[in-house]
Amino acid sequence: MAFEGCPGSRMAHFQDKEAQDDTPAAKVKSQLRQWPVQLHLVSPLAPYYQGADVLLSADCVAYALGDFHTDYLKGKSLAIACPKLDAEQEIYVEKIKSLIEDAKINTLTILIMQVPCCSGLLRLAEVAAQSANRKVPIKYIIVGLQGEILQEAWV
Amino acid sequence: MERYLNKGIKQVIIEFPAVGSILDEYNIGCTLCGVGACLLKDIVEVHNLSPEEERELMGRISKVIYPDRVVEIPVTQRKNGGAGAGEVKYSPPMQGLVDEHTVIKRLLAMIPFIIEDMEVSRGEDRALVLGTVDFIRSYADRYHHAKEEDILFKEFDENLDIIKVFNEDHKIGRGHVKAVIEALETGDNRSIKEHLAGYRELLKGHIKREDEVLYPWMDRNLSTSQIGRLFAGFINVDEQFREVRAKQGAFVKTLEKKYKYEEVK
Ligand SMILES: [Fe+2]
Ligand SMILES: [Fe+2]
Repeated sequence: MAFEGCPGSRMAHFQDKEAQDDTPAAKVKSQLRQWPVQLHLVSPLAPYYQGADVLLSADCVAYALGDFHTDYLKGKSLAIACPKLDAEQEIYVEKIKSLIEDAKINTLTILIMQVPCCSGLLRLAEVAAQSANRKVPIKYIIVGLQGEILQEAWV
Repeated sequence: MERYLNKGIKQVIIEFPAVGSILDEYNIGCTLCGVGACLLKDIVEVHNLSPEEERELMGRISKVIYPDRVVEIPVTQRKNGGAGAGEVKYSPPMQGLVDEHTVIKRLLAMIPFIIEDMEVSRGEDRALVLGTVDFIRSYADRYHHAKEEDILFKEFDENLDIIKVFNEDHKIGRGHVKAVIEALETGDNRSIKEHLAGYRELLKGHIKREDEVLYPWMDRNLSTSQIGRLFAGFINVDEQFREVRAKQGAFVKTLEKKYKYEEVK
């Protein structure tokens, strides 16, 4: 097979997917209950993280996953990051650790895309969790390029 | 068929014993269950059959109940797809309970050795029985069963038949232990043996059904937030029972050494 470059940035065009006309009867309401959301911008000490079920999502996920708000964001506090492009990721590890230790979050759910580089976000979370003096259940969900759920499991 | 779908499974099996054998073939141990109050229609969801298995199973059951006509069987509505039974991967709090089962099963495996040629007037035999009772009371009951009853089951509607069944087993188990203690006082060897063996049989089945049916079903129905709450609650109890866990873990090891029994992996 010819070398096709990084699978994370390889082009794909889902031509057979017409603009889908299964618009919900009512407008989908945003389930976001905080600002900011980017992991560099948020503080683990923000009130919305205290004791919360936290969703740590790779940037691209929200665009691929049709039901992001209703099925995944609902009831959770959010942080987003890109493990491929973001700088100073050691700060991410510290922040996730602080979410576990200081914000005493209830659970951590990592939402990532199927592309290989995205698993870096899960690894960051695992490193942070291992160094934390408190334990929380961590779940990861892998999303396909067309928004399908490929895997969902507890770490 | 609707009428039977809403009937307790034990009732259905009494009326149609062949249904019991069919369920056994699918490893659904309703014939062994002491309570059997689950409704026939719930069996499919509780045991997480795949849609193909469900169609086949319900088709066969309806043939037993109505041998001479074709019956329309409603498909069970399930929350989480019905992936079919595969290898079970538990959530972190459930995995903790399954690990505790492993310790309890190791103790259960020692009971036949303990009661063989047991004579409670002998100090050593008496101490072994007392140690076993202490394990059951402190580790299996006050630690593990209390985690289930006071924390886990509270996340569900306790009037659900499936919860009642497992609570009932815990009660029967306590009855066996009480009987062992009474028999120790009167020096009744036969009764001690009978009730320790009875406890072992009961718990073996109970643990198997929790590992294979109850916990996976619960995991499918618990929200992420509930899993977090259970996890935190269990860690709390683990802290409180740190000494009990160490002491009883060591007791099981001592027994395994004494009877040269290889650890259950
Ligand atoms: Fe139990
Ligand atoms: Fe149990």
